[in-house]
Amino acid sequence: MSQLPAREHAYHTDARGTEPFDKTYSLGYQVHHEDWSPFPRVNRLRQTFLDGEYYIDVERLRLVTEAYKEHAVAPRKLQCAYAFEKVLRECELFVYDDDLIVGEIAAPSKASPIYPEFSVDWIIRESYEHPTFEEREHDQFYYRNEDERREAVELCAWWKGKTVEDLINCRLDHDQLKGSEVGEKIFQTNLYHYAGTGHLAIDYPRLMKLGFGGLIDVIQGKLDALDMRDPEYGDKRDEYRAMIIMYRAAEAYIERYAALCEQKAAETADDARREELAAMAANLHEISAGAPKSFWQALQLFQIATSLIQVESNGHSISYGRMDQWLFPFYEADIASGAISKEFALELIEVEYVKMNNPTKLKDAGSMAVRNGRGFGGESLTIGGVDSAGNDATNDLTMLMLEASAHTRMMNPWVCVRMHDKTPYELVVKTVECVRAGYGHPKIFNDGPAVKGMMRKGMPVEEARDYCVVGCVEIDLPGKEYGWHDAAYVNTPKMMEMVLNGGKSLKTGEQLGPDTGSLETYQSFEEVLESVDAQFAYWTDQMCSSLNIIDAAHHDRKPLPYVSGFYEDCVESGHDLTEGGAKYNGIGPQASGMGTCADSLCTIKQLMFDEKRVSGAELLQAVKDNWEGHEKLHALVNSSKVHHYGNDDDYADELFRYMFECYCRHIAGRPTRRGGQFNPGVYSVNANVAMGMNTFASLDGRKAGEAISDNMAPVHTDAGSHDIEGPTAIVNSLSKVDHSLASNGTLMNLRFPEDAVSGVEGRDNLVSFIEEYISKQPMHAQFNIMSAAKMRAAQKHPEDYKDMLVRVAGYSAYFVELGKPLQKDLIQRTELHF
Amino acid sequence: MSQTGIVFNVQRYTIHDGPGLRTEFFLKGCPLHCAWCSNPESWDPKIQYGVYSSKCIGKDACGACLEACEHPEALTFKKGRLARIDYSLVTDGKELYDACPSDAIKQWGYEMTVDECMKVVLKDKGYYERSGGGVTVSGGEPLLQSEFVADLFAACHEAGVQTCCESTFHVGWDAIERVMPVTDIFISDLKTMDTEMHRSRIGAGNELVLDHLQRVVDAGCDLILRIPVIPGVNDGMDNVRATADFILDRLHGRIRVLQLLSFMRLGVEKYQSLGMPYGMRGVKVEREAFQAHVDEIADYFCSRGIHCVVGTKERQ
Repeated sequence: MSQLPAREHAYHTDARGTEPFDKTYSLGYQVHHEDWSPFPRVNRLRQTFLDGEYYIDVERLRLVTEAYKEHAVAPRKLQCAYAFEKVLRECELFVYDDDLIVGEIAAPSKASPIYPEFSVDWIIRESYEHPTFEEREHDQFYYRNEDERREAVELCAWWKGKTVEDLINCRLDHDQLKGSEVGEKIFQTNLYHYAGTGHLAIDYPRLMKLGFGGLIDVIQGKLDALDMRDPEYGDKRDEYRAMIIMYRAAEAYIERYAALCEQKAAETADDARREELAAMAANLHEISAGAPKSFWQALQLFQIATSLIQVESNGHSISYGRMDQWLFPFYEADIASGAISKEFALELIEVEYVKMNNPTKLKDAGSMAVRNGRGFGGESLTIGGVDSAGNDATNDLTMLMLEASAHTRMMNPWVCVRMHDKTPYELVVKTVECVRAGYGHPKIFNDGPAVKGMMRKGMPVEEARDYCVVGCVEIDLPGKEYGWHDAAYVNTPKMMEMVLNGGKSLKTGEQLGPDTGSLETYQSFEEVLESVDAQFAYWTDQMCSSLNIIDAAHHDRKPLPYVSGFYEDCVESGHDLTEGGAKYNGIGPQASGMGTCADSLCTIKQLMFDEKRVSGAELLQAVKDNWEGHEKLHALVNSSKVHHYGNDDDYADELFRYMFECYCRHIAGRPTRRGGQFNPGVYSVNANVAMGMNTFASLDGRKAGEAISDNMAPVHTDAGSHDIEGPTAIVNSLSKVDHSLASNGTLMNLRFPEDAVSGVEGRDNLVSFIEEYISKQPMHAQFNIMSAAKMRAAQKHPEDYKDMLVRVAGYSAYFVELGKPLQKDLIQRTELHF
Repeated sequence: MSQTGIVFNVQRYTIHDGPGLRTEFFLKGCPLHCAWCSNPESWDPKIQYGVYSSKCIGKDACGACLEACEHPEALTFKKGRLARIDYSLVTDGKELYDACPSDAIKQWGYEMTVDECMKVVLKDKGYYERSGGGVTVSGGEPLLQSEFVADLFAACHEAGVQTCCESTFHVGWDAIERVMPVTDIFISDLKTMDTEMHRSRIGAGNELVLDHLQRVVDAGCDLILRIPVIPGVNDGMDNVRATADFILDRLHGRIRVLQLLSFMRLGVEKYQSLGMPYGMRGVKVEREAFQAHVDEIADYFCSRGIHCVVGTKERQ
């Protein structure tokens, strides 16, 4: 017998990193390790970042407010442009020691600007009222001094009534609000109610070809050619003018940075550093005037253009597209000409990776609860996958970008490896080596269902194959789609509560939704399913109509000419992204707690109808009583004697499928006001914890306050995990649904302890597992190689685990910075053993 | 196929008993009773019921077992939770198992047909193919049910699934011979060369095992040999040398790998659940020193030219 695994379908590539493809990046997370990177510069930059504090920065707020006052009567788009221009011409600039690439978000590293255009009430409130930003249990931010606190609050007061939030609030009615985050939190539209939308990847290939100068020429051409008979003549003229003002400001901003580099070069006594600064200044001069000519310049332009998206708006998940693809021509040319070595290319990538961590975002307490973390979050960097013809697209940069991820081990970028049935063996191995190094990156996407999901949004297959990931798990077409991904968190167990109890709250008895029957009235299981369908119809109507209103408010109050100019279709049509300028438009709200709903249905079907062990009235009373006095039933529902999703058991998996399809059916295809369609996602990221706190007992055996099930995962209650058959069973359960129906993404966490993947055999077993996983057609997988014991140790001695990253869901976070309830949820997730 | 076996556990996705990713069937009944055995529920060939006190929600809140039991005095409670069942009074634990809502009473052993087994096997076929894995039967002593194993393995081969049999070899040669044509890999222990020690701590002399090991190797079978390294039983260098001699002289070194499994205190809760005494209770192990000693033993085997690893892997 051969000692090696059978590998009949091994595909190979010529692509290599700087190290052998099977380099072991040391197994399992180790803390207090300061030399992950072979480049001392990168290790220093990384440590400086980790040691920094999170501040609130008032400068953007100050400049934007002044600009709005100066241009009080300008059209909205031009107001936005003037404010952006003022920030870029006047904000303080920062060139840090060891930097090779410059550009921040108009605030120092790790300091969060304020974006009053979106909302101010919470900033005013949380600046003084307990718990203030400083007093939060986690995700604290600090004003530098009391003068700045006072100034921020005074400036914010000027914005009252003028924000996106204010317009939304006065347009949503009682029925829409009662289910939202201001009411019962059945659906939570927080993110875009109080902040920018983001969730996009611009057309980097086009930017790299044209540069800001080339883009201005194209836009000027469109402006000159505008037809005065076009009824939108004035609107389009505003849009083009705004774009030109903003891009000229960007050029000036780049020149300001060049001047600062030159000044620093003149000041330094270090010859090597002087040369670096001079080279950086030369790079900046080059890209202020036109397109980049080298790999280094391309990265510099990328950094400036991308960070300015975050100066315009604080929308998160500003993603980097298929970076190994669009950056490759520069790399290839520079390597061929001998301009750079592979090692220097890697160092530049690592420097840029560290830099990607600098932007932070102050969030309101409510959004913070569903979305822990102080970074913007969601900066996905997609590599690998197929090209538009369906052939594997792996190249040297694919390998280098994985390697840089293992060398930097930071929250950003969120590296995503696209896989398919012909992914080269070397890439799978390198991915596995990163996965089992235990720092939470990369996530894996499956081209099969993802491409199919893109096609459900109306794209031809050639375009669909060019998808990238934005945010946690949302599939998106870079430069062509404005998907409004991550639009709302939907608490499906709360909809299920209405199914059990005639549309009434279990806790208060208040009538919230329509009465579609209750456990006391259902005569058959079919009636239960019909009731589920009716409640989902009612609540998704409330939510989707709200989202269209929120979307409209963004258009009205905060159009986005700067980022729109990177979309060829926006420039072509003269329409802003917020008014449907992108080629593909959407809104993607995501369902949480599907497992909880599925197991609740199992309880009803098996115990009430099939076995007739318990009456509907008894079940209803049990959840009304939060299971107190019903211990026997509570134990039974949590035991292996009742069917549960995640065990490769068709009985339960069918009901999961019903829930999954029910949600997708009620979301998919609804029209949005920007001309696209709603796209369902099935993931919760970490919102399942906060949602659970706010959710009464459920029939899967959850008690009030416990987390609802996460993402696509099986249930684990405080009484125990419901999945007991191991990873292959979970994967089979998971694969019984068509993931492409969730065209806004699905998410699956798998956690293995270090010893399950150790050694060459552990590596090979994980390789086999991932390849089989891909062949079974789920859309996404991510791995936590982290034992519960290690996480408990980090809880005890947080000071020793400052840089320990864990994969939360879709993203990685510093474990010790997470809230206690989320830490508990991570520890409780089933640890899978081989 | 109508052949039925008594299985007490099915584990999908195991990596320890044989190469690659595997599905493992644990069969009930064993002729040997090693003091360090981590599967005491495997000894008795009949179906048994164990008690997991920590899962019991208490007789006050529940009491389902008391209601279901004809002889309530057979049930012992500690701090209100079920602690033990007296099997001299309870002839069939099934009614207690059925009554318990909380998994506090666990059923050890159930009948499975070859067809039922194959349904489980085929669910993970893709993983076997990609990883070079397959199906393993273990126990207990699976060859006490050799007809069932032979039928199951034949079905596996028909489906293109690799097979592995982990046996004590303390069975009749006919049983081994029966499964040999459909077994790709055997796994067996060589617990100690000292037959008296073998008899006192394991329950029988080692003659049959040694003889069968040799015959299996002589027949050209692929064999993974294991030594569970138990302090005070087989970790002396005399025994290690004798073992190496045996492997080289009588097995001609023709084994796939020699795996050393360090003694671990595993399965204690299962002894408790069955009300059985744990034979290694008094054995204290200094983990680090012992692990170093096991490494030393491995080094010795390697120095004799025997491919030896610590743990269940095949490669270092």
